[in-house]
Amino acid sequence: MVTARPSLVVMALVASVASGCASELPSDGVARGEALFKNCVQCHGAEAEGSTLMNAPAIAGLPQWYVAAQVTNFQTGLRGAHADDTEGLKMRPMSRTLKSASDVSLVAEYVSKLPVKRGEATLAGDAAKGQAAFATCSACHGADGSGNEAMKAPPIRQLNDWYVVSQLRKFKGGVRAYDPADTSGATMKAMAGAIPDEAAMRDLAAYIHSLPL
Amino acid sequence: MLEHYMQQGSSFASQIDGLVWMIFLMTTFWFLLVEGILFWLLWRFRARPGHKAVYLDDHAEHAFEVKWIEIPHRVILLCDVAVIIGAITVWSEVKLSAPAPDEVVRVVAQQWAWTFTHAGRDGKLDTADDIVTIDELHVQVGKTYSYELGAKDVLHSFSIPVFRLKQDAIPGRVITGWFKPTIVGEFDVQCAEICGIGHGIMPARLYVETPEAHAAWIANPTHYLAYKF
Ligand code: HEC
Ligand code: HEC
Ligand SMILES: [Cu+2]
Repeated sequence: MVTARPSLVVMALVASVASGCASELPSDGVARGEALFKNCVQCHGAEAEGSTLMNAPAIAGLPQWYVAAQVTNFQTGLRGAHADDTEGLKMRPMSRTLKSASDVSLVAEYVSKLPVKRGEATLAGDAAKGQAAFATCSACHGADGSGNEAMKAPPIRQLNDWYVVSQLRKFKGGVRAYDPADTSGATMKAMAGAIPDEAAMRDLAAYIHSLPL
Repeated sequence: MLEHYMQQGSSFASQIDGLVWMIFLMTTFWFLLVEGILFWLLWRFRARPGHKAVYLDDHAEHAFEVKWIEIPHRVILLCDVAVIIGAITVWSEVKLSAPAPDEVVRVVAQQWAWTFTHAGRDGKLDTADDIVTIDELHVQVGKTYSYELGAKDVLHSFSIPVFRLKQDAIPGRVITGWFKPTIVGEFDVQCAEICGIGHGIMPARLYVETPEAHAAWIANPTHYLAYKF
């Protein structure tokens, strides 16, 4: 006669269900980065091309070091934890869905390998005026806007124009880089402080948008 | 009983638990009674050889209705009255009346964060020494607080389970309420109204501090909520 111990049956069931859940996420490598990225698609888009509707910027093709650094900033509260940062406060809890530094780096790697996409121009700025003002920016972001890892300055030529303006506004207003511990943010904050007004920000965004990818 | 699962951390928590407990006992009583009768009837009048179904005559049916329907119906109405009296008493104490606050705290909900504005050293809001924090609320045990609750975008609900406090936040409106923390500790604040994909991950932390610890925090308002993996 076969006797089944109920507790063993339950344990076996629980174990099989649990292993089923765990095996949903690949344990490592590109596949895990891709799976983790599914959590970002809702706002940043399937190709990380960004969404104007969600105010989520294009992040495809951003270098791994920069994506990882920003996600970590969101997690620790160096970015996106300011009461006036409506968009940052949305990104902040999302960054916390990544539960380890290695997961952050895997998603960042996946994102960095996606082909760069540039959104449509949405603002009317004067690119010629922007070009003159961009001279200061090129010291760190490069004359072609391709960034400079040594300066911790990300590529900016592929950014959505509305995002460029919103970030310059945030840096200038202390809504991004509000914490002295955010040293790379602090460099950029000083630069944004020197931009006179919103019109100048739009001109810069128009010029940056015109840079060849 | 309920406090065994969730501490009672505010002056009105035990009243709310009392109400929940009363309703629970009443519904449990009726549930067990009705199910008991149902199964007893199923068993009592099961199909048996030699027993045919019979219809009650009018007179017997009336007596039957009084016994099985009218009497329980009235007793249930009495239970309803008890629930209504209990609910109105608690409601008027918790929601309709508000004791004079020692301090006011502003709470703003948005996708997906809580912003708390503490009055700071001078005990007054909208002054230079206000302390604004994201996702963490600091209060002093034993003090009466009133809150001004707002929402920036969509509906949210300000829920502090240990306080038994839950209040919807509605864009365009400032809703006031109050609480008086009674135990020191670190507790959860959550959003109790679906507010978008980040709804489940918009928790905040509540720190109920002793007067000394609270004064120390106000003097040096560091954010505790450093992120740990
Ligand atoms: C709920 C929508 C939402 C989701 C989901 C989301 N993000 Fe974001 N993310 C945003 C928004 C909005 C911003 C812009 C913040 C700002 O304006 O400062 C942003 C900004 C970023 C930035 C900064 C980009 C830059 O150029 O500095 C990175 C990196 C980023 N997100 C990565 C991710 C990753 C990785 C995930 C998935 C784990 C993710 N996001 C999920 C909304 C979202
Ligand atoms: C001294 C070096 C430096 C200069 C000059 C500089 N930046 Fe930056 N910029 C940075 C750094 C570093 C960051 C990354 C900030 C961070 O880590 O959060 C940055 C970030 C940015 C971002 C945000 C990118 C993103 O993906 O979120 C924009 C937009 C930007 N800079 C535009 C400009 C413009 C426009 C100028 C010229 C007016 C300029 N920068 C000049 C160093 C600089
Ligand atoms: Cu909410």
